[in-house]
Amino acid sequence: MIEAAGATVGQVLDDLEARHPGLGAALRAGSSAGIDGEIHADPEFVPIEPDTVIYFVAPLTGG
Amino acid sequence: MTATENPPVSETKGYTWVGTRPIRHDGYDKVVGKARFAADLNLPGQLHAAYVRSPHAHARITAIDTSAAEAMPGVKAVVTGDDFPMLDITDANYDVSLNVMARGTALYNGHAIAAVAATTKAEAVAAAAAIDVTYEELPSVLSIEASMADGAPLANEQNTQKFVGGDPTNISTHTPLERGDVDEAMGSADLVVEREFDCAHVHQGYIEPHACVVDTGADGKASVWASSQGHFMVRAITAAVLDWETSRIKVTPAEIGGGFGGKTTVYLEPVAARLSEKAGRPVKLVMGRDEVLKATGPAPGAKLRIKIGANNDGELVALDGWMAYELGAFGDFAGMVGAMSVASYKFPNLKLESWGVLTNKPKTAAYRAPSAPHAAFAIESIIDEIAQKLDMDPIDLRLANAAVEGDLTAMGMPHPKIGFVECLEALKASDHYQSPVPEGAGRGVAAGFWFNIGEQSSATVNLNEDGTATVITGSPDIGGSRASMALMAAEELGIDVMRITPVIADTESVGFTDVTEGSRATFATGKAVVEACRELKTELCRRAAQIMGVEEDQVAWVDGAAVSAGHGGGEAGDPLTLAAITAQAKRTGGPLTATASLNAAGAGPSFAVHCADLAVDEGTGVTTILRYTAVQDAGTAIHPSYVEGQMQGGSVQGIGWALNEEYIYDDAGEMLNPGFLDYRIPVASDLPMIETVIVEVPNPSHPYGVRGVGETGIVPPMATLGNAIDRAAGVRMTSLPMSPPKVLAAINDRG
Repeated sequence: MIEAAGATVGQVLDDLEARHPGLGAALRAGSSAGIDGEIHADPEFVPIEPDTVIYFVAPLTGG
Repeated sequence: MTATENPPVSETKGYTWVGTRPIRHDGYDKVVGKARFAADLNLPGQLHAAYVRSPHAHARITAIDTSAAEAMPGVKAVVTGDDFPMLDITDANYDVSLNVMARGTALYNGHAIAAVAATTKAEAVAAAAAIDVTYEELPSVLSIEASMADGAPLANEQNTQKFVGGDPTNISTHTPLERGDVDEAMGSADLVVEREFDCAHVHQGYIEPHACVVDTGADGKASVWASSQGHFMVRAITAAVLDWETSRIKVTPAEIGGGFGGKTTVYLEPVAARLSEKAGRPVKLVMGRDEVLKATGPAPGAKLRIKIGANNDGELVALDGWMAYELGAFGDFAGMVGAMSVASYKFPNLKLESWGVLTNKPKTAAYRAPSAPHAAFAIESIIDEIAQKLDMDPIDLRLANAAVEGDLTAMGMPHPKIGFVECLEALKASDHYQSPVPEGAGRGVAAGFWFNIGEQSSATVNLNEDGTATVITGSPDIGGSRASMALMAAEELGIDVMRITPVIADTESVGFTDVTEGSRATFATGKAVVEACRELKTELCRRAAQIMGVEEDQVAWVDGAAVSAGHGGGEAGDPLTLAAITAQAKRTGGPLTATASLNAAGAGPSFAVHCADLAVDEGTGVTTILRYTAVQDAGTAIHPSYVEGQMQGGSVQGIGWALNEEYIYDDAGEMLNPGFLDYRIPVASDLPMIETVIVEVPNPSHPYGVRGVGETGIVPPMATLGNAIDRAAGVRMTSLPMSPPKVLAAINDRG
């Protein structure tokens, strides 16, 4: 679990990138995000609360 | 025996249309043969095309001489890899681009090398045979072990390695997932069971081969008629592979004769478009069955090592797993998703290492709940073995460990509201499970999970002047979604479902819509339909207020009509039906239409639990399924018959995967059984009726509680049948398919 700041998932990724160069970019390029039990395929602008836990997971597809 | 009759949900949830079983709107056309599939279309001046395909699993293409072919009668155009732009390796469509047509290297037996368009199919085939391709054979990689071995030759020098980096290898993905202390928990567990499993490649087995017709005009615009699970996807990939602007391409969806995940990508359309462009005439391109099996997406093969620790009271305390998925010549996410699909049980301690690796075999593609069946086969087999060793009922063991809302999946995210416990309880209470096991047979039970997805959808609802409606979406109907869309619209608008015409429109006539995959159409596109209907109801009330001569806020939509307390002199007047309002649309503001587009989050995870009674002929190893029941959480069954159809279809495909189906390769990487005589999918006479029990734990993220039902049904059958074989014959099967020779060998080894 890593803590990061931001009002949206995209801002959290920016914060991660600033503090761990490469991490934010890698997550932005290849992840979906699980937030409050919902998986968001394109989470960049999804708003989050200060205590939200974001689960970055591989992009999901299906048959 | 008949399928279980479920009580209509409308009786319990207060719906009028949702949960009923009307005849599907496209049923007549399909029954009488009027439905038009891609290969049914013929255009004036149309040419027919044929491929040259690699006879080698891995070879450098040193020369292609097309001169003889181009001089043959009827030949109008020839294309090779040189006719397609080379995308940047970071482009999302790089792999599919190289799969559509080889560029310099053939990566599997069957890889497209060139294509010819001619006046007749026979002329095209003859000309393709006259194309002289010079190959320099390269070392081929044909198994997971060979692919992962130190110093292994590269299966694809252009492995995009999207998530690995470093020196080139055959590894496409590597995903470690871990929580708790597995080693400590395993060491203190009362019981530990560990086994290795392997799964052969299997094909989605759709009856309709890939087919398209493309007409590229002199203006550079292309009209495409194609069989796919997503015509916007066909447009996007075709544009990317050809480096065209998207607006040059219009794709009209043909009826689809099965996809099951295999038609979520593109093989033909860029090739046909380029041939049509060069020839100046329409081109039809239809695969033969051998091409479908040798060159389109099988599901990955896999090897798995799974160890589970349990306590004597049945608590599953630790899971330690290694999974490797064989992806073919191009990478994808199967290795990751296979591990992520471990989500059915609490497992306080968990360690999963999963890999996706490349071999010189066809590029794999999604197949209902892609990569979850492999993982479930292994894990659910071991859980059954634990139940046997602890002398516990297999459902009770699962109930004691079943994940509920808030429990963590393997990938770490907690489950939202789910219905796994309800599925287990429904099976336990079913007539099947309550009936004695037939003499001499064994009864197997196993569970399955799939995420389901949301993604982008659009819908337009037009109200016609007579009060009928048209519901227009961009989701190809691969499992009854036309009927589902119409039922949700009927429920919203309050009109008869047969007065609604569901239409799947071309890429220029409806908003962008993602592929019909991930069990998403009824969930996400259904959500768009409901949003559009609700916007229309607001507008209908506004129009009704004009007609009634009351304020808008005095009108409400009730049971398919506008009602107002102020209408009729201050007392409740006659309701204004939808038809009464649409009849006056011209006078009250014009046509009544609404469109909704969304990117749907909140797809509801789906669980299934299956049960089979099975007999084993100990002299031949032949297995006979005597009874089979599938239980699944649908959230809400919008059209129960098509939910049952999805459950039955998934079960049957899983049964084929479990017992018969496999790609058989020779040592040079050529598939030896590329036809339905030798690649044997189940037929009706192989099976009993698949009984169904629909469980409904509504998904709170959908207006009617839909979860999506298309995929989970294929996840439990392999372990269900393996567990039944063990209980019938005392042999634990760990290799798919569990075909008669393998079962017989296991019986002989048992002694």
